[in-house]
Amino acid sequence: MKVVLRIALGIIAAIGGFVDIGDLVFNTQAGAQFGYTLMWAVPIGVVGIGVYAEMSGRVAAVTKRPVFDVIRMRMGLSSGLVVLVASLFVNLLTLSAEIGGVAIVLQLFFDAPFTLFALLGALGLITIIWFTPFEGIERLFGYGGLTLFVFVAAALHEQPDWHAVGHGVVPEAPSSTLYWYFAVGLIAAALMPYEVYFYSSGGVEEGWTPKDLLVNRLNAIVGYGIGGVLSLGLMVAAAQLFEPAGVEPDHLGTVALLAQIPYGETGLVLALLGMLFAIGGAAVDASFAAAYSIAQFAGWEWGKYRRPSGAPRFTCAWLLFFALGLAILMTGIDPLDLTEYSVVLSVVALPLTYLPVLLIARDRTFMGDYANGQIARVLGWLYFVILVVVALAAIPLLLATNAGGG
Amino acid sequence: MDDRFDLVYRLLDEQIVDVDGRRCGRVDDIELVGAPGEPLRIGGLLTGRGTYAARIPRPFRGLARTLFGADVRGATVQRVPWPEVEDVRATVSLYGRAVDLALGRDDRELQRPFQRLPGG
Repeated sequence: MKVVLRIALGIIAAIGGFVDIGDLVFNTQAGAQFGYTLMWAVPIGVVGIGVYAEMSGRVAAVTKRPVFDVIRMRMGLSSGLVVLVASLFVNLLTLSAEIGGVAIVLQLFFDAPFTLFALLGALGLITIIWFTPFEGIERLFGYGGLTLFVFVAAALHEQPDWHAVGHGVVPEAPSSTLYWYFAVGLIAAALMPYEVYFYSSGGVEEGWTPKDLLVNRLNAIVGYGIGGVLSLGLMVAAAQLFEPAGVEPDHLGTVALLAQIPYGETGLVLALLGMLFAIGGAAVDASFAAAYSIAQFAGWEWGKYRRPSGAPRFTCAWLLFFALGLAILMTGIDPLDLTEYSVVLSVVALPLTYLPVLLIARDRTFMGDYANGQIARVLGWLYFVILVVVALAAIPLLLATNAGGG
Repeated sequence: MDDRFDLVYRLLDEQIVDVDGRRCGRVDDIELVGAPGEPLRIGGLLTGRGTYAARIPRPFRGLARTLFGADVRGATVQRVPWPEVEDVRATVSLYGRAVDLALGRDDRELQRPFQRLPGG
């Protein structure tokens, strides 16, 4: 019974931890501008993150190697260093965008300047990380993010046009560049690589062994799968409430209106709380992902299971990334612009970290009987092709649409 | 440990872990000893950022030396004698403690300020 409860709690945390500022922005904007017609892109991203997370979690459980350990080992120093720098750059943009998102949500609760809330938000998150054990951090933000289900309730409450929803499962043929920019953005937002760096390192932190492979599979497939329902809820609600009215959600606060329109103040508070936990959790994940990457690449002691002084270079790394993320925000850049850039650039760097994980997950020298089976092999390579296509399309689409500005 | 294994595939770039389970560097280079016509054997493992410049493409070596430091034995590069290696599996495990092999020195220097903080 205890095992079942532990698995269930893990899955619930994965569901709540799935959504971040990128999902909130891209799903709502896609629904507001294109109705239900981009729904097909969400499952592509969600299955992709499930495949990547399952493989990297399995590698972590069997070989005790998280993602950047694998990268250093399979790509060596020179190529690995290029991947590390690229990953850290997009990670930093993501972290900065998430801190900005926390500040915007706090501003909606209390009236004070953005920069003050960015600073307080970052300090609050640092304090939570400092004093809370790894599992506590994962659960706190994961469970808090569950109030985002208010968006799914709002989508159903507004009685979607199921016929149109059905049509959204297939891509539109004669579509605009902007349509394809959002398609790439939706896939990329679901597939943010920092989530996988955090996830696989977390598996090592929690001491996973091959006995935990079921937990890994359920977290990656069921947890992220249901998390994807949250993304679809945002898009469907935006398609019903924003598209007909011509509302353009170019502020994070507008997203919360999707819950306020059907449920009043209660809906608004639930939405904002869910956003605060989801975005705050993503900031923690992104800062840790950066610190894990550097420490694993260089071979430093790392992990939250150590006290901050037990892995001091690792601690310095995540603190430094918080400081750099804040510094970027202080330049006055709009966190939503930062979000779009971080999501699109993340997908460009993604194949570089995905391939080494795929190669080791199929390697029987390291994985023994736990190497990729038939389904994982086919899905693994299929997604590698999809990721390369999406990565190649991302930058031209970003430039052609002026980052979604049309 | 297997009798034969591919040094680049199985040893280079692997994580080094001491007897207490502390991660204390990566196998950044391998020191081989021997003369022409004689069997070549591993003398030791080299670890530390000072090894980076020699391993990356020539045009970027100057930049790497500026960023990561030059190869200074005992400072930016530490040598682990091969007899100190207990096993090579998922990690390279050592018989001894990191402190006795002068590994993980930066971590030990940074430890003190964090220990003074509550929860540190």
